Amino acid sequence: MPPMGRCYYSRASLELDRYGNGRRFIERLVSSASTLMLPGPARFAALVAAVALLGGGMPAAGAPRDPANVLVVFSNNRLLPANVEVDRGLNDPANPSLRTVRLFSEFLDAPAFGGDRHEATTASYFRDKYAARQPAVIVAGGSIALDFVLRYRAHMFPEAPIVHVGVDRAWLSSSKAALSPDVAGWPIDYDFAGTLALAAKLHPAADGLTVVTGSTTWDRERERDVRLVVARAWPAVPVTYLSGLAHEEVLARLSALTPAHVVLTPGYFADALGRITAPREAVAAMAAVSGAPIYSPFSSQIGSGIVGGRMTSYVEMGRAARAIVDRILAGVAPASLARESPMPSHDQVDWRQVRRWDIPPERVPLDALVHFREPSLWEMHRTQVMIALVIVLIQSGLIAALLVERRQRRRTAAALAHSERQLSLAAEAARLSAFNWHIDNAGVPNSESQRGGDALADVLASVHPGDRLRVAAAVREAAGERGFELEYRTVDAERRVRWFSARGRLARGPGGRELTGVRTDITSRKEAELQAEADRVALRRLSRISTMGQLSAAIAHQLNQPLAAILGNAETVRKMLGRTGASSEEMREIIDDIITEDKRAAEVIRRVGDLYRRGDVEFAALDVNELVRETLEILRTELVMRHVTPVLALANDLPAVSGNRVQLQQLFLNLLLNAADAMSRTAMEARTIDVQTDLDPRGVKVSVIDRGVGIEGAALARVFDAFWTTKEHGLGVGLAICKAIADAHHGSLTADNNAAGGATFRLVLPIAEARREGADVERCLPG
Amino acid sequence: MSSVVYLVDDDPAVLRSLSRVLAEEGFDPRSFASGEAFLEHADSLRGGCLVLDMTMPGMSGLEVQRWMEQAGIVIPVVFLTGHGDIPTTVRAMKAGASNFLTKPVTAAALVEAVRGALAEGQALQGAANELAEFARRFESLTLREREVLAGLVAGKLNKQIAVDLGIVEQTVKFHRARIMERMQARTVAELMHITARLPASLLSSAAPRSP
Repeated sequence: MPPMGRCYYSRASLELDRYGNGRRFIERLVSSASTLMLPGPARFAALVAAVALLGGGMPAAGAPRDPANVLVVFSNNRLLPANVEVDRGLNDPANPSLRTVRLFSEFLDAPAFGGDRHEATTASYFRDKYAARQPAVIVAGGSIALDFVLRYRAHMFPEAPIVHVGVDRAWLSSSKAALSPDVAGWPIDYDFAGTLALAAKLHPAADGLTVVTGSTTWDRERERDVRLVVARAWPAVPVTYLSGLAHEEVLARLSALTPAHVVLTPGYFADALGRITAPREAVAAMAAVSGAPIYSPFSSQIGSGIVGGRMTSYVEMGRAARAIVDRILAGVAPASLARESPMPSHDQVDWRQVRRWDIPPERVPLDALVHFREPSLWEMHRTQVMIALVIVLIQSGLIAALLVERRQRRRTAAALAHSERQLSLAAEAARLSAFNWHIDNAGVPNSESQRGGDALADVLASVHPGDRLRVAAAVREAAGERGFELEYRTVDAERRVRWFSARGRLARGPGGRELTGVRTDITSRKEAELQAEADRVALRRLSRISTMGQLSAAIAHQLNQPLAAILGNAETVRKMLGRTGASSEEMREIIDDIITEDKRAAEVIRRVGDLYRRGDVEFAALDVNELVRETLEILRTELVMRHVTPVLALANDLPAVSGNRVQLQQLFLNLLLNAADAMSRTAMEARTIDVQTDLDPRGVKVSVIDRGVGIEGAALARVFDAFWTTKEHGLGVGLAICKAIADAHHGSLTADNNAAGGATFRLVLPIAEARREGADVERCLPG
Repeated sequence: MSSVVYLVDDDPAVLRSLSRVLAEEGFDPRSFASGEAFLEHADSLRGGCLVLDMTMPGMSGLEVQRWMEQAGIVIPVVFLTGHGDIPTTVRAMKAGASNFLTKPVTAAALVEAVRGALAEGQALQGAANELAEFARRFESLTLREREVLAGLVAGKLNKQIAVDLGIVEQTVKFHRARIMERMQARTVAELMHITARLPASLLSSAAPRSP
């Protein structure tokens, strides 16, 4: 609130109040009416009406103390931004609980109005106007108002102490105000030095400084202030002073400047032609056209287009004045409240201008007050924003959690459905079904255990009679904390047999012990297994028969030998009976021969017949040497016909092996024939088969060694493969069957080449153990 | 004197039985347990026949037959087999077997086969003796007489032979009479028969050193 050198009075404060706030308008209305027009009772009524109109906003009538009236006199126009800000500060008490203060504002409207007459009239007007509301304190805003109040106080309200606000120290020191004991206030400095320092900081490379002032006394004082400090505040910069120029010229000069230049102006109240303006309006006009950034030490000009300056906040000035007013009203002597040092000033900048002039933000001092930064919600409503953010975050978190949970639930549900589908498919494919057998409820299952499951007795009733004992035993063993795993058969009402593979675990249920598990219908697998085994048996038998077919010539010869002997002997005896003199001794001898030969024929038939027969399931303890000899006996003629000589080296005292006679004979038969086949191109005299038996760590070993062509390296690995043969007419099943028979006997069959030529087949059969025989009977199915 | 029948079989029971059958029929059976054992005695064989088992360890029946043929031992062979397959039978017969019997063989069949073989053996022996006589007679002819005989066998007239040999017809007639006498042929047809029996090698062989 820059004061003017000359003073003018306000013509009518009421008219100006048209733009004021409602509360103050009504206050004025009431006070004016009561002061000027209405008699006592009507005044009171009007006051009551005004109080009612203002509602709770006014201190209630009958409060402990009456509100203190404070008259605020401003030097200038009511709308001057500095005035508005000071007024805001005045209305912002540091301690609202103190005695209520009623503020009345008056405006001297300098520099538009002034002069001794006007001042005297205004003073009389104030005196009359506030006669019923004697101000307890007068606040003078600005040096013009302070000057007016000092001069006319005695005329108006001689008792009221004066509090000044926004008056610069230089003015105070040159006036008598500071000496008066009932004048208090906190002076200010127009901090041109600080403003220049800020400008120098923000524009270190500035090529010049232009200082613009107006033509009033106050304006010239400001030019003087600048001249006093510029050399020290910004030594290097060339300074141009534009003082007392016409408004238009100022604007033209400024518009010609470059951004490298800096303008400093406090604004002005009047130009060279005496045209009156407000400093802020002057600065705003300059800022609109200036080619260079503008600085000012007046905080009221922040927002008009200046970049900033070092300045004291007018709001703070108002608050400081209010604090002094409150202290005076509280009874403190005004003199003790007067302060010598100026109010502190701060660097303040308009962020929009900082951006407009491309001033690097880091040059802005950290402690500067920054105005018009992007209206950051965070800065404006930190707590609310925090709360809102927290709420939003919590909500988002909740929503996210719910979404995640929903997704997980959906996924889980989908996975569960999928898994159930798969499980049911798998169960269907595997013919799986769950079971729950009640072991302890032999009789009728009680209602609780009826929820799922069957009594063990019912289960056993459905089991194939042949498996019943086995199932019962397995259940007993499971009851001893062992798992239950079993294959068994069931028979239904139509006498159909089904195979099941069951596995389960014992659990204690409400109705006693339960065996819970799953069972698989393996009927088709079992049938396939049985079929496969039957096929294997049939193949073995066919192979045997085929072998016997190959041997038919030899076997016929072997059978015909005794038959021939018998026939000859029989006919001889008959002839001898027909003649006299035949020796009965000789005849008995002949008949003995017949009997012997007949037995021999029967033996051949027995040996060969075994190999044709089906259904030999017996596993027995066998003498390997005897088997070898018997097999060679069958092959004797065949080997003779092939000019092959077997050479036996059989170990004595070999333990018995467990085996099936026919299968092992077939095995030896195949090995020996294979050896004979291998030697079809060997020289006749070299065609020998060594057949050796030994005791081996793993059992009894039978080696069949030929002098044939041997087995090619690659063939060695495949020699036991089915349908793999090197023979022209071979089927390739002989050795495969040998291997299968050896495996079925828990034995091993291997093939190797001899160093001296030919191949050796080694069969190792485990020694018979009483315990294993039973198991083998189970394994070996009818063939 | 009874005819000798040689029995070869690796099976002693069969050998004994067949031997009894033949002995009962009045033959003189001689048993051998293998082909090798029989061949050791082969050089001293005179007449008789051989009953030979086909299937034996060591030498088979066919091998024994082949060995005898190569050694020039002529004796009718009756083969015995436990199982008469066609290829073996054909091979045996081609090699000159007299008969081929399948075990078990009845006494009648065996005796018949042995008799047949013995008869064949006697016939063979007779033929061999006759051929030796014919050869002896032919070898008594002079070179000129053999040339005339060749002309006669070729069906030429006396005149033609005389021209061929550069002699007179009367000399041809003389030689002819001498040939008939030395070859003991009553007619030209008989001369032709005898000459046909002679082996070709003998006919074309070089004339005796001294006519």
